[in-house]
Amino acid sequence: MSTHASGGAASAAAGARAGWGDPAFAGLARLCGLLVLLLMGGIIAVMLYGGRLAFSTFGIGFLTRSVWNPVLEHYAALAPVYGTLVTSAIGVVIAVPLAFGVAFFLTEMAPGWLSGPLGTAVELLAAVPSIIFGMWGFFVIVPIMARDVQPALIHSLGHVPLLHPFFSGAPFGTGLLTGGLILAVMITPFIAAVMRDVFNAMPPVFKESAYGLGSTRWDVMRKVVLPWSRTAVIGGIMLGLGRALGETMAITFVIGNSNRISPSLFSPGNTIASLIALEFPESAAGSLKLSSLLALGFILMVISLITLACSRLLLRTGQTVRR
Amino acid sequence: MNASNGPMPRPPVQAPPLVTPLQTAPASGTVHPTMISVRGLDFHYGSAQALKDISIDLPARQVTGMIGPSGCGKSTLLRVLNRMYDLYPGQRATGEVLLDGENIIGPHVDSNQLRSRIGMVFQKPTPFPMSIADNIAFGVRLHERLSRADMADRIEDALRRVALWNEVKDRLKSGATALSGGQQQRLCIARTIATRPEVILLDEPTSALDPISTARVEELLDELKRDFTIAIVTHNLQQAARCADRVAFFFMGELVEVDSADRIFTAPKQKRTQDYITGRFG
Repeated sequence: MSTHASGGAASAAAGARAGWGDPAFAGLARLCGLLVLLLMGGIIAVMLYGGRLAFSTFGIGFLTRSVWNPVLEHYAALAPVYGTLVTSAIGVVIAVPLAFGVAFFLTEMAPGWLSGPLGTAVELLAAVPSIIFGMWGFFVIVPIMARDVQPALIHSLGHVPLLHPFFSGAPFGTGLLTGGLILAVMITPFIAAVMRDVFNAMPPVFKESAYGLGSTRWDVMRKVVLPWSRTAVIGGIMLGLGRALGETMAITFVIGNSNRISPSLFSPGNTIASLIALEFPESAAGSLKLSSLLALGFILMVISLITLACSRLLLRTGQTVRR
Repeated sequence: MNASNGPMPRPPVQAPPLVTPLQTAPASGTVHPTMISVRGLDFHYGSAQALKDISIDLPARQVTGMIGPSGCGKSTLLRVLNRMYDLYPGQRATGEVLLDGENIIGPHVDSNQLRSRIGMVFQKPTPFPMSIADNIAFGVRLHERLSRADMADRIEDALRRVALWNEVKDRLKSGATALSGGQQQRLCIARTIATRPEVILLDEPTSALDPISTARVEELLDELKRDFTIAIVTHNLQQAARCADRVAFFFMGELVEVDSADRIFTAPKQKRTQDYITGRFG
């Protein structure tokens, strides 16, 4: 291409400095950059194209109905979308305070000999493969939920007027609540690591100023560090949420696999990712079912992209405000 | 009081470079009782010793200037006086720092309470990301419960004392970070005095400011020492000569000499002091 020509000309004219290396590397880097865009667009296009049969067959009903009946070949997305949103919401609601506690302890309280190893442990926990969490959830958390937690919740919150629909039904151990709990365990270290970095990024002199007025650690965190890092913290939470939305293996183990929408958090459900993982092997090529699964994949991608875009936006505005 | 309306910039450097302060304290400053008394203070950052056997008295309602080359330990001494070093593992102080007869670097001192008695202003202005009024109220709320009206009075008083009131009275609710650097630093001083400390520590408070803002902060010190005991670390020898009643010269973690400002700048006893103030090193 033209790189060869211009490279040759440059080396002839300027000697040692130029050569063909620079333009070649620039071209290569540009190609890698374009490849990312290409992949992204390709994946979205394939999902959309593969799901066209489902979209055209069920129309808008694919999004608004909750039926999933392979025998009658009726498919719709509402139940797994509901399961995805509910489990992710439970996961984030539980994970955020936990992660804040971890980050607060790591940045403000932990003595030097502890904060290093503990910080590494948090990062390692974030790197545990999700299948491990799935098995652990199935063998450890599900029995505990069935035996202790769910009966206790049924007996206590199950009688509170407004809350009782959410905490009724049979305590199987599996279900939306357990799925959300596993997600919380998985994303807590992730959010905690982000929060810790954000809190550490605060110039120490600001903290010292607050301490210098006689603030306690909690005063400093609540009134100075949190307001200063608010947007970045929200961005970190959104990234955790993005992870929770797409999580597959861990959820598949504990969600209970049922395509119904029930208000009870104990009832078995499905997320988009778990449904695809379970049904994909049993879907014939070209079938309406396979098309429906691909359409579900497209919906999941859209949800994830919206979440990611929101977090990017928040992180960026956070930076511009600070400058 | 100092409700001098509008800014009145005056040249920051007066004609003779090393002027003596107006109140030339007699012999060893016996008129002023001692506010803080440091005795045999050693300080370590990990294994490195930053202060060696420091003994110095800070007289009440006087400005004590601390000078010396970078890394000589003068800022470290300030950070001992309000136990700021407590925040960092591996930093430790031994010896005695007496405030009202109590050793404030002892183990049973409430450092939050101590810091409300000994305020600190830093090299860089550090307005918090909140409104001007809230910046002042921040420290006050930590220690006192004031009614709305009392708090408003306290905020106005603090801002008047740093001659900032006329500049910001119409925008108390707007963000403090929009102020100029000099205004921000005066806000930080106001924030410190609003909690009514007994001692104010200033760590190179004007090194990030322009000459006019610097002059205003220096004027301020003269006002403030009527009510507060002040310790100021500075790299600017002329600033020390202009503002300080007593000056302490530090070198490599040791206190070389402490005396009245005019004596330090006109007839230092130690050769190292002489060398430093005449610019032979540092």
